[in-house]
Amino acid sequence: MSRLAYFTRETLISLRRNLLMTFAGVMTVSVSLFLFGGILLVSRVVDHGTSKWKHGVELEIFMQVKASRRQIDLVKASLEADTHGGADATVKSYRFFTKEDALKEFKKLFQDEPVLVEATTADALPTSYRVVPRRPELTTTIQKEFEHVPGVKAVNTAAKQVKTLLTATRWIRLAFFLMAGVLLASSLFLIVNTIRLATFARRREIEVMKLVGASNWFVRVPFMAEGLVQGAIGAGFAFGLVYLLKWIITNLLKSRHNGSASLFQPFYASSHDVFVIGSWVLLIGAVIGVAGSMIGLRKFLEA
Amino acid sequence: MRMIRFENVCKTYKGDVQALREVSLDIAKGEFVFLVGPSGSGKSTFLKLLLRDEVATAGSVLVAGRDIGRLGAWKVPALRRNIGCVFQDYKLLTNKTVYENVAFALEVIGRPKHIIRTQVPQILDLVGLTKKSDNFPTELSGGEQQRVSIARAFVNRPLILLADEPTGNLDPATTVGIMRLLDRINRTGTTVVMATHDQRIVDAMRRRVMELDHGSLVRDQVRGVYGVGS
Repeated sequence: MSRLAYFTRETLISLRRNLLMTFAGVMTVSVSLFLFGGILLVSRVVDHGTSKWKHGVELEIFMQVKASRRQIDLVKASLEADTHGGADATVKSYRFFTKEDALKEFKKLFQDEPVLVEATTADALPTSYRVVPRRPELTTTIQKEFEHVPGVKAVNTAAKQVKTLLTATRWIRLAFFLMAGVLLASSLFLIVNTIRLATFARRREIEVMKLVGASNWFVRVPFMAEGLVQGAIGAGFAFGLVYLLKWIITNLLKSRHNGSASLFQPFYASSHDVFVIGSWVLLIGAVIGVAGSMIGLRKFLEA
Repeated sequence: MRMIRFENVCKTYKGDVQALREVSLDIAKGEFVFLVGPSGSGKSTFLKLLLRDEVATAGSVLVAGRDIGRLGAWKVPALRRNIGCVFQDYKLLTNKTVYENVAFALEVIGRPKHIIRTQVPQILDLVGLTKKSDNFPTELSGGEQQRVSIARAFVNRPLILLADEPTGNLDPATTVGIMRLLDRINRTGTTVVMATHDQRIVDAMRRRVMELDHGSLVRDQVRGVYGVGS
């Protein structure tokens, strides 16, 4: 217990002594981690909005909610025929989505609106087929084939915008990760520097500690705690900013699709996303802080 | 019982500076030994090897029977807890009081509070600084500062006390006081090794004298004086 008190006291003293450097370290950590977390969050939003268009899925055939078993089976038979048409085959593969599957997806989509989820049953949702065409150009052919089949409500295709969005986010993500990486590296150097200054300010104490036989860990811990606190506080700020970003995105999307239209708005960020991203941000912040202090200490604690 | 043993110890620094050459000696538990010789004769290297601040280039240094050159880095703190150390410049922490300076030595090796609370006043009493325990080092005379330094070195009851020119900055009257204190500590069974230039103390104390010259042990004399020719 007295040891814990000692470490706490020493860490706080040292943090206060280098207030300006500490501040610089904390700020760079939070900016870089916010960039990192922010782009991850935006990527998640895009992922949610485009998840059904992954793995080559180009079409969604929605049946009427009240479509009969026969109608559903007929569409299936046609798709099957298109799959096994030899050289003329247009469909590479397809997957049937039952009402239960639809409900599962619906629940995921609206996990932040439990009232809505509560009020929705599988019965109220349509069944559908997700279709992967043999070649992307065949999309329109398939769309035309099924558009007017009895029991089919609509055939949706991946809009051009979705595809552009997917490519764009890939590049933006890369650019942001690079920026975040550079900033993270600079925050690491700042922490290394702060710790060097801290060890220099306390070189007499360290000398005496080593002389009377304090273990290396005992000498190190206050400095490591100092680095850890810097990294963690920076990460905490970044976490807050990511949360703020989530709030902004949610409101932005809501205001753009007022009322019932928002029900089928697949672009969203969930609290779960923020939590996962936030955990990464905190972990990276802590690791940066401890790594920075270890590097900063290395030179001073030799021999 | 043998406390310190040097076996053909050589220490060469970068650039072929030979600080110690083939030094062999034994120091028994409870001995008081003066290490004399001009500047650059190897006295400081001798002490650094004992503290494992440096490692011998050849030969071995044994403390309480253990070859400390083979000690893993993580065992060095344990060695140093058994060796107290006093320097010419005291190495006191100016932002701590006398009491805190001594307590610090126990604190950083993880001693519990109640031990610190009983040990520190005891040792301050031994060095005669009970009344100054709340003063800062800058408010003390050189002799008093050296007493604090000795208190810090001895508070953990080490087996060995090393002193590197402990009276180098003190006037003769104060020096006598410090020597009396070291003598008292020696009488508790602690082995004391003191490097010094001070001819008068060596001649007055009549203890074992080891003389180094250019890194070689040129004299080892029981109840010796500073210089044979002087």
